[in-house]
Amino acid sequence: MLAEPGHYDYAPYSGRPRIVWPGGARIAVWLAPNIEHYELEPPSNPRKVPWPRPVPDVLNYSHRDYGNRVGFWRMADVMAKHGVRGSVSLNVAVCDHYPEIIERCCELGWELFSHGTYNTRYFYDLSEDQQRAVIADSRETILKYSGQSLDGWLTPAITNDETTQHVLAEEGIKYTLDMVHDDQPMPVKVRNGRLISVPYSLEVNDVPLFQIRNTPVERYTAIVKAQFDQLYAEGAESGTVMCMPLHPYLTGQPQRISALDEALAHIVVHDGVWLATGREIAAWYTEHYYDAFSKWLAAGTPGGRR
Amino acid sequence: MSGPGIPNYLDYPWRRRGLDHDRFLHRNLPQARPVVWPGKARVALWVAVHVAHFPMDMPRQPFVAPGGVDRPYPSYWDYTQRDYGNRVGIYRLMRTLDARGLRATALLNAAVATRYPALTTEIAASQWEVAAAGLDMGRLHHGGLGEADERALVKEAVGTLRGAVKSKIRGWHSPAHSESMRTLDLVAEAGLDYVTDWINDDMPYLVNAASGKLTAMPLPWDLSDLRLLFQQHMDTSEFVEQVLRAFKTLYAEAAQTGSGRILTLTITPWLMGQPHRIRALGAILDRILEHVGVWPATGAEIVDAWHVSVVSDK
Repeated sequence: MLAEPGHYDYAPYSGRPRIVWPGGARIAVWLAPNIEHYELEPPSNPRKVPWPRPVPDVLNYSHRDYGNRVGFWRMADVMAKHGVRGSVSLNVAVCDHYPEIIERCCELGWELFSHGTYNTRYFYDLSEDQQRAVIADSRETILKYSGQSLDGWLTPAITNDETTQHVLAEEGIKYTLDMVHDDQPMPVKVRNGRLISVPYSLEVNDVPLFQIRNTPVERYTAIVKAQFDQLYAEGAESGTVMCMPLHPYLTGQPQRISALDEALAHIVVHDGVWLATGREIAAWYTEHYYDAFSKWLAAGTPGGRR
Repeated sequence: MSGPGIPNYLDYPWRRRGLDHDRFLHRNLPQARPVVWPGKARVALWVAVHVAHFPMDMPRQPFVAPGGVDRPYPSYWDYTQRDYGNRVGIYRLMRTLDARGLRATALLNAAVATRYPALTTEIAASQWEVAAAGLDMGRLHHGGLGEADERALVKEAVGTLRGAVKSKIRGWHSPAHSESMRTLDLVAEAGLDYVTDWINDDMPYLVNAASGKLTAMPLPWDLSDLRLLFQQHMDTSEFVEQVLRAFKTLYAEAAQTGSGRILTLTITPWLMGQPHRIRALGAILDRILEHVGVWPATGAEIVDAWHVSVVSDK
């Protein structure tokens, strides 16, 4: 076992090359709806049991299913109302199961990136060839249903193995979301090729908030606003990234959808906000800052308040 | 380093258009046929009450139902707190609903009818609907149950309730929303026609069973008092907030789409029937009922109206 991921060196939040987002924006805000399918009868995996109850876990399966039948549609309407696009963390089999959802995403100009094939097919214990096969499947499926290239990656259920980031880079993935170590994009150390991390979030994320931390609905909005206000203020010095991961089966419920509406209303009225997709953030950073950050890291992170 | 992998892990036998089972069809709610409720109401208000019995010696396997006995045997703490609901709490609920001319659907464990016939009589006197909710909270329907055992369980639950209640029993709720692969076939076989276990929709839909069709009715879990007040430790005020937010969303959506919606208020006597919470229930109901276009109905009445509006040929 490894004692650390090994994909990055320590980089203080101080003395970094200054990031400016397009149009002089100080914060890039991106929304990542996780559009998923959890299987009723998934195969077993040595390290993770898919369902808490015996199969069929009707309660938990149908809870997820709500997202595709009801929640997604409601969430997409609210996002469209505020002119905010999604970058879909997509279990690509959704393209086959529910193509109308993909049509709606494309109609709204959303990005599709891969969140594996199903959310019940983990990367734990997969061989590198198996990992490559899933990535290739994702690339082909997303291209077939949307015409888009596969640029981003979040391992299903964040079950990446030690080799996954290396395999992603070798397969031409441009950005990974498996690490939540920073509020700015960062180069990822891989054995071949080039990969960056784009900030995802396990804090401003409806699963930990609603499912694990039992967050009241008004508190959700307050947390999103507080996260935005701070990253917006810091963005005056150097551009920050705020990610809002969403799950239609949770946020799309009728008692919660207004919380998303209120949070987005707060964000979109500010100047200097770049409402971006994951792909756009990755491309801007790679083009303008990858080399500067690599140089700064190679030099031992000089500058700052030391 | 990665090892040899997991054999056949990337076979996807159900990867196809639609769901990965044949119980019902996938439906995108915005594309569902519009529903017209009686009186052209915008929102049907369904009050569904869990009337449950939690045996003190309930098994811990295969899992403990939410709200189930949690502490070491003999847990008087757990047992009596839940039993309070059937002795006291439910009478408060009845008075609160009666005062507003509302009738609920009791999702009734058959053990309650056997143990407390006086309560069953009172439920009938309030003109509540009775839906069968299995035997008790320790007798779960689940994948490890054999077919003969499960058939006997359904038969006993439905038979007991038919003997105890004069009105026709049409609805089914599996304790803890838990089913085996064949529960719905057995429920249909027992002559019931609507079910409430799958929490995947805001509106009814048709379900396939071996002997015909069932109707699935929405019984939300995240919005239930059991989930919010008991499991998630929320304050009563948060339950009120969330129910009213849900109502507001559904009420607006009904106007916008021209299709009726359902607000299901799922409540539990040992939770909402507590003295410190009962007025909050009254406040929720008053806030909802002050709106024009709210149709209070039982589960069976909603199922029938839905069939008239959407399923039947006109």
